[in-house]
Amino acid sequence: MLLSVTGVSKQFGRNTVLENAGFSVREGEILGLIGPNGAGKTTLFECLAGLIAADGGTVRFRDSELPPDGRKHALHYLPDTIRPWPDQPVRWVLSFFAALHGRPQGEAQRLAAALKLEGLADSRVGSLSKGESKRLLLGLGLLAPHPLLLLDEPFDGLDFRQTREAMALLRDTQAQGRTLFLSIHQLNDAARVCDRLVLLSRGRVVGEGTLDELRASAGLADGGLEEVFLALT
Amino acid sequence: MGAWRRYFLPSRSSISVSPTEQPGRRHRLPHQHHRFEWLLAHEWRELLASRAFWLLLVMIGPLVGHSFITAVDTYAEASGAGGGPAALAQGLSPLDGILVPTFGAYDLAVTLLFPFVAIRLISADKASGAWKLMEQAPPGLPAILAAKGIALLAGWLLAWTPGLLALVLWKAYGGALYAPELLNLLLGHLLRVILASGIAVAAAAIATTAASAAIATLGFTVGTWALDFVGENRGGLLQKLASYTPTSALRVFEQGQFRLSTVVVEAALGLGGFALAAVWLPLGRKPMARAAGSAATAAALALVLWGSAQLRPAWDLSENRRNSFSEAEEAALGKIREPLRVTVFLAPEDPRLIDLDRGILSKLERILPAVDVQNASHSQTGLFEGSGDHYGEIWYEMGGRRVMSRSTTEPIVLGVIFGLARVEPPAQTGEREYPGHPLAARPTGAAWIYYLLLPMVVVAAGWLHFKDRS
Repeated sequence: MLLSVTGVSKQFGRNTVLENAGFSVREGEILGLIGPNGAGKTTLFECLAGLIAADGGTVRFRDSELPPDGRKHALHYLPDTIRPWPDQPVRWVLSFFAALHGRPQGEAQRLAAALKLEGLADSRVGSLSKGESKRLLLGLGLLAPHPLLLLDEPFDGLDFRQTREAMALLRDTQAQGRTLFLSIHQLNDAARVCDRLVLLSRGRVVGEGTLDELRASAGLADGGLEEVFLALT
Repeated sequence: MGAWRRYFLPSRSSISVSPTEQPGRRHRLPHQHHRFEWLLAHEWRELLASRAFWLLLVMIGPLVGHSFITAVDTYAEASGAGGGPAALAQGLSPLDGILVPTFGAYDLAVTLLFPFVAIRLISADKASGAWKLMEQAPPGLPAILAAKGIALLAGWLLAWTPGLLALVLWKAYGGALYAPELLNLLLGHLLRVILASGIAVAAAAIATTAASAAIATLGFTVGTWALDFVGENRGGLLQKLASYTPTSALRVFEQGQFRLSTVVVEAALGLGGFALAAVWLPLGRKPMARAAGSAATAAALALVLWGSAQLRPAWDLSENRRNSFSEAEEAALGKIREPLRVTVFLAPEDPRLIDLDRGILSKLERILPAVDVQNASHSQTGLFEGSGDHYGEIWYEMGGRRVMSRSTTEPIVLGVIFGLARVEPPAQTGEREYPGHPLAARPTGAAWIYYLLLPMVVVAAGWLHFKDRS
């Protein structure tokens, strides 16, 4: 097991956002975190990354406990709604991020080509459209050399063709032996790209497994992820 | 590939982590110096992307220029330009007449403009979400803050261009410069900007928005002004504290003094601001941990400040030795080994106390091994003290012997102290007096440079910089 999460809880004032959340991430898989808006997906990711202090719970990485201040050495979390360094050109942001993480500059260039960012290399990040900005963020996430990547809504803002290309890129990354944990609210996208799924509803994990396993635990003979999610929540 | 090479810094090999590797030291340590170069380059680019910084650069030229031109004109008039009566040459010092007013413009800029530049370097990262990425990046918080601090300092040194140009112009007009007092003054201004950076960075780290940070920083500045005012009128501990406010500390350097305690206290306060920022910037830290970290930082800083304030070494670097007795008197005073206790019955607002303090006691403190000054006045002004209150008396005590004097005049007080210490007063040796540097020169060409050329150069550079980023 790459990552084991048990009993993670978080309250903001009287509002319970995460309640005793627990699940596992297996080595080399693409795991999807599924849930509607407000289910606590982003809070869970930020707790795992150590960017929010959880009220309780433990995180183990390859059987060793991983304290919050050590998380950045094991996993990298890419937030959804950020627009980092808006005054800098795309080229600089990718080069700088690669250098920060000790990655060769050729890798930044390769990802820029794969994400069709080369034509935007001299554009300021602040001037990018939502989809372009999402592609840049995806590039930054994949530049981080960590064994486990947490990507928050990696397909949000991408059109159909771009989503397919991004999925192919994530599959390539997986094929290199890295593990991806994606937060996705579009169930169709999740079903297409993820090997296993964690269902989150109102801060609680209500299911974990492959689509078939989830279908079985929901008592459904057939049906898609949407039906399974509705049955389990 | 060629286009991407545009940003390449000296190349290093990859340190990508194997997907099966345990997270650990190998991930963090290699090529940290290489990462730091990138961090520095990035923070410099972020500084240049700041409109506030460019605005500061545009404004600083005319500000410094106005101060310089006015100072040169006034100095020329005092030197007898235009056929008017000249002041005594000994009273004409370039430190007071040119350097302090010219660089005084920087004090204004560092108080009212620079904090906005410093705040942006933190707040922009927080607002754009970049901080979430930076916090997870390998260089770590100390390296990131160091890079921001160095970039700010480099930016400020760039803003010094008009001031350094003023020195060149002054020399070109035939003016005199005395290197020790000039470098000392520049050090004072450098410490002033380190302190301002620390306060602004701490405010930006603690506050949620840049606007709140700006209000907090200006609030701190106004607070130090209030402390200056209150300390001057109250004396005692408040006066001691007030002597380390940015304005008072800068005044020490403007007087040509290098006081180790002032240097260390100002540097410690500036670095303390960065330490406080390091406590508040990590996003995943709980409020209690932040409170504890802040308290620990404040306690450590208080300890350092208390220790620094005890440092006695001080040097008079002014060319006219305004902070020193004559060399013969200092040699005679150097023979005194016993501690001197001075009890002063003068109110803090009494001008005689100010004369005594600045003209005699502060000089004595630099030379004698131990000087203990007690203020025994009962009021703020001394206007209503009764005859039994000993008002106006100054008691000197050494080795069990006590002498009272009411004078605040240097030769009389020194005579009292030599008598008390049983040390032979020095004979008048006819030491070379400070000749002064009168110069009746007009600031030729300065107005063109400061009001037209420099702003145009900055605006053109800014236009070229932002043109590529539209």
